[in-house]
Amino acid sequence: MNLMRMLLILLLPAALAAATRIESYTIQLHASPEGRGQATAILSLSNCAPGMLVVPLGFSAPEDLKIEGSPTGVWLELGPRNGMTSLHFHFPAGMPANATLRFTFEVKQVFQALQLAPGEKSTLPKGSRIFRHAFVNTQETPIGTYRLELLFPEGFMAQAIREQLPKPKKNEVGSRVLLSKTADHQAATLQFTDLHQGDDTSMILELVPTQRSIGWLLAGLLLGGVYLIKFRDLIAKGRPAPGA
Amino acid sequence: MEKMTLSSKTREAQSPTEKWMRYLGFPGGILLFLLILFLPPGAGLSASAQSGAACFALALVWWVTEPFPTYVTSLVLMFLLLVTRTSNAKAIMDVLGMEVIWLNLLAFILSSMLVKTRLAKRMALWLVVRFGHKATWALLAFLVLQLVLAPLIPATAARCVMTLPLMIVVATIYGSTEATPNAFGKNLMLLNLACISVLSSITMTGSSANLIAVGLIQNMGGHRVYYMDWMRVGAPVAILTMVLMWILGQKLLFRMKPGEQVPQVEGGLDLVRRQYEAMGPLGFQEKKAIAIFGLVLFLWMTDIFHMRWFGVEISAPFAALLGAVIVLFPRWGILSWAEADIPWHLLIFSAGAYAGGLALDDTGAAEWGVRMLFGGMNLKGVPFGLTYTVVVSVMMYSHLLTTSKTVRTLIMIPIIISLAKALGWNPLSLALPAALCIDWVVGLPISGKPNVVLFSTNQFTVSDNFKYGMMTCTIGVLILVLSGATWFHWLGITPSFWAVAP
Repeated sequence: MNLMRMLLILLLPAALAAATRIESYTIQLHASPEGRGQATAILSLSNCAPGMLVVPLGFSAPEDLKIEGSPTGVWLELGPRNGMTSLHFHFPAGMPANATLRFTFEVKQVFQALQLAPGEKSTLPKGSRIFRHAFVNTQETPIGTYRLELLFPEGFMAQAIREQLPKPKKNEVGSRVLLSKTADHQAATLQFTDLHQGDDTSMILELVPTQRSIGWLLAGLLLGGVYLIKFRDLIAKGRPAPGA
Repeated sequence: MEKMTLSSKTREAQSPTEKWMRYLGFPGGILLFLLILFLPPGAGLSASAQSGAACFALALVWWVTEPFPTYVTSLVLMFLLLVTRTSNAKAIMDVLGMEVIWLNLLAFILSSMLVKTRLAKRMALWLVVRFGHKATWALLAFLVLQLVLAPLIPATAARCVMTLPLMIVVATIYGSTEATPNAFGKNLMLLNLACISVLSSITMTGSSANLIAVGLIQNMGGHRVYYMDWMRVGAPVAILTMVLMWILGQKLLFRMKPGEQVPQVEGGLDLVRRQYEAMGPLGFQEKKAIAIFGLVLFLWMTDIFHMRWFGVEISAPFAALLGAVIVLFPRWGILSWAEADIPWHLLIFSAGAYAGGLALDDTGAAEWGVRMLFGGMNLKGVPFGLTYTVVVSVMMYSHLLTTSKTVRTLIMIPIIISLAKALGWNPLSLALPAALCIDWVVGLPISGKPNVVLFSTNQFTVSDNFKYGMMTCTIGVLILVLSGATWFHWLGITPSFWAVAP
């Protein structure tokens, strides 16, 4: 027993030194107006060693998972689905120390289904979509930077960022979630650096159609016009002084 | 002079320009609202941030042009924030329970006490007899008063509240009332407004936002800023600016007519002196008012010891609340509730203004605006002096985008530290001068708590405040730039203004 412990203690630093490091983990999720999502993920690894690397996915039921780019001999399977789906990468002997893995998958339902019980009042206007995403690093391999970019369906914009966790640390500049715009789409990016085992990050977004109600324009112009007519006396020459 | 009523009536438009502004302000505000609301969604700006900016722009135009009383505009703003889904009902309604609203309410109870006991009148008469041979010296007396109070009482609203009755009575002596404000009243109120905020930047303990900035400079920039480090750069800039504003306010912005430069009471200064002498020795009620006010003042000044003494911190509104309880206490107190002169229209104005300001902060519109200001400039390879001027200017004027010093500090200082590092400058060289601008929240009546309180006196308009505030900030920037090139450089804080980072 003591010999086993001694061996473990001696082997642990070597194992840690050989442990694969995830430099960055980027997922780009392109949501369609129907609510389906096509994701492309890129893992940048260093210090790779033959064997298995387990990486949490952050999506519970991915479909059509495929490796699109990797060193020869790498294969991928989905791990057990106990709430958190994991990706199990198998690295062959002769795996290069630095590698980039690119894989894709589909998400059946990107947005949260809004189902109201009979008689329940809706708290969101018609056409709104809610996107929730939470990522927990369940594995001991630390992740340098985790980034999830959601490309909104065409014709949608972010109404508000309802949640962005954890709050930025003192040495971080800017928000946890950043909104941006590409050529055709608006996007929101959740970013968190230096995730150790147990660290988590999440965002909740409310999306709305880009089109503003024309009612604002009509009401505004009508009010402004009526005021200009009814309050002409404000600028009338020879207007009696107040109280006169 | 015996009464301190703050009317809710809208000030009548005086000049043809003001009349036109009022006439066109209403549709102008609506047009600006629609323009911002219907702009194509911008990169990095959410729909709620865009609608928040639209609502705030509308309110700002209406507050400046005054087609309605300012508190009606605030009510409209609160409604718009809800229907555009910028803020939810709870967030909007909760504003009426904010610390600043409570402090306003309680401050006016204490002010009513000073007026009813005639203590405010006695102090004002003394001030005028002692310094008021000319209006300019009366104004200087207030500058000195605020300079003395600034290091003693960090809470700007508390400083404002304790000097407000004095300001109102002195303004009245010089013929400036809320119904007929004159140039002296504008100079007096706006000089105090600027002094209260700007002089907080003398010390790093002048406001909690200063301390946050010091923490950020230490954690992110790796430089520890000591009390004296701050003071030797902050004090000269703040004091020199306020002395210049004392002169420029009277000479350039609001020139006083000859009649306004002396006390406008029948009989002139002699009568003021006779009135002061006729008041006789301090009465019992006045002594009681001094004791109550002294207790509140003591609690305001000793807030850092409260935890040790009482096991709890009695914040500025709660110290005023204790004072109000004693003032309103049956038999032993000084006032009945009916005698307390509480300007509810001001509280509504403040609530709307803060709801709008908070919406800009919460939706990220303010942060977006600041990022756009910096993001649009390429400062790589330019001389340090130019970068310094840009940073200080953006920091100084950015107070117009947000009502919270803390939020502005938390957004701006980390960006400035990162910018300095990216450009190859010592973070302290940009972050410390920028931090000195944190307290200069003088541009609008909603920019700071003292501004809200002083605006309620009706002695100045939003555009008066804007003019005075912008001049104060511009002089501040000029002095900071001049100091950056000389004084700060000699102290080793800034490199040469012509230096270009490698």
